[in-house]
Amino acid sequence: MSTPTKSEYMLLFRGIDWHKGLSPEEIQEVVKQMYTWLDRLTAEGKAKAGKPLFPEGKVVSQKKGRSVSDGPFAESKEAIGGFFLLEVGSLDEAAEIAKEFPGLNYGAMVEVRPVAPECPLAFSSSEKSTAQPVRASA
Amino acid sequence: MTKSETTSPVPPPGEVTQVVEHFFRHEAGKIVSTLTRIFGVEQLNRAEDVVQETLVRALQTWPYYGIPRNPSAWITQVAKNLALDLIRRDKVFRNKENEIALLMEQVSADAETVDSASRENAIADDRLRMMFTCCHPMVPQEAQVALALKTLCGFSPAEIGRAFLTSEAATAKRLTRAKQRIRDACVAFEIPTGDELTGRLDGVLQTLYLLFNEGYKASGGEHLIRAELCHEAIRLATLLAEHPAGDRPRVHALLALMLLNGARLPARLDAEGNILRLEEQNRSRWDQPMIARGMYHLIQSTAGDKASEYHLQAAISACHCAAQDYEATDWPRILSLYDRLIELDDSPVVALNRTVAIAHVRAPRAGIEAVEIIHDREQLNCYYLLYAVLGEFEADLDHRQAALNYFQKALELTTIKSEQTFFTKKLRELNIAHANGARRAHQRSEHS
Repeated sequence: MSTPTKSEYMLLFRGIDWHKGLSPEEIQEVVKQMYTWLDRLTAEGKAKAGKPLFPEGKVVSQKKGRSVSDGPFAESKEAIGGFFLLEVGSLDEAAEIAKEFPGLNYGAMVEVRPVAPECPLAFSSSEKSTAQPVRASA
Repeated sequence: MTKSETTSPVPPPGEVTQVVEHFFRHEAGKIVSTLTRIFGVEQLNRAEDVVQETLVRALQTWPYYGIPRNPSAWITQVAKNLALDLIRRDKVFRNKENEIALLMEQVSADAETVDSASRENAIADDRLRMMFTCCHPMVPQEAQVALALKTLCGFSPAEIGRAFLTSEAATAKRLTRAKQRIRDACVAFEIPTGDELTGRLDGVLQTLYLLFNEGYKASGGEHLIRAELCHEAIRLATLLAEHPAGDRPRVHALLALMLLNGARLPARLDAEGNILRLEEQNRSRWDQPMIARGMYHLIQSTAGDKASEYHLQAAISACHCAAQDYEATDWPRILSLYDRLIELDDSPVVALNRTVAIAHVRAPRAGIEAVEIIHDREQLNCYYLLYAVLGEFEADLDHRQAALNYFQKALELTTIKSEQTFFTKKLRELNIAHANGARRAHQRSEHS
């Protein structure tokens, strides 16, 4: 194929304490940088989705029977604070984008994960596995 | 088009920043105060955590859904929900859960009838409680200023550090110790009453005065954040003056002094950030509405029978504000105010300022003589303004070499860049004037 194949990558932002010790106006500035960044990636066609996640929530597990407990789920340093869904050429490209995350300056981390193709069964057909819905309709 | 693009259009990032300037900072000050009353003053850190989380949430959601119709009520509601979550989760609150939950319910009931006078009054009460707590005599004064900036004005340790030329870590340490002091001393989160109020009010005024002066004096640091300090001091003093507990002549006098000096801030620097002296300032850049407010509070301050230092300093500033131009300055009146001020405050710095008025009313020579007899003058030996003042007097007397020496000394002593630029300019002017004079003298001798 002459056109480069694009795949989906998930950026998971870990660390929900990045705002500790910052003033309201400093927080405002960091959040603004995050949105500016997401907007740019969206305009470039690289980001397909992105949202912050609230720190509270529930954890459902099989620990004591099927149990539901309150979040947070991990150490606040590890807890996921948001995600971006990217569509780019390679894992390296996704990692390069992750390096621009404004929260890195404030102790947050980014986990970059390749997203499995839509239907695992489609692995039998390499043609289908790389074809994204958007591209297929184009 | 993907689903995410249709369901969550991201508005331009500027939108959330279009709320009133410093909105989040000032909202934070309100909610921290209210939560501290509810949680107890020993849980100040937790109140701060809840507020931070609330603001992050506002900033993260508003770009998606737009700014709520009543941003303040939105923030109060979210803070309340987060606070309820916290007290249910945190064992510190276990014994008090019901009591605290009840108080939190009241906050939400208030929030529903927004803009009601009673809610505004309750918020004002809480902020005043916070002010009295931060300015408690058990807390060292430098720490009082830092704590007030943190809790009431929403400054971070880094921002406070920048304003006071200390490190973020040192500021954070100072804040922690101050909070510890408050816990250890079991400081009550309340507005003092009766006789206690007068003394405690003095403490609050001193701290606000220090805060204002930190911003006003050009001892270095970032210009913008320093102007912010002046505005925050004015804002807090206004809260105090508008509250029945703070509606006292001294409070109005301090507020007048801040407003009348603060009004002249915009004209104090030129485009390059160099300091402009009073006679060089473009008076059309003085903030006239602020001067009007200052004059109003100066009148309010005359209700009592005692003139405090604040009264006299405000009155001196009012003389400058009232003068159409530098030549119209009422120096005799300023001198008489300094004469009274020096009786209340015999600090050599006040005495030095007074010599300027003496020189204007009488003569530069009288100014120099007045400097010579300043009480505790040796305390000024390393104070660059002493030499700046003497340099001006000598220059006015055409004592070029003496003036050069003084300005050189002032230049060596100051660490402030804009001041250094100023003295360098002074030295150059004196040298040029001398060179021109010499050339003219030389030309005259050639022609004769």
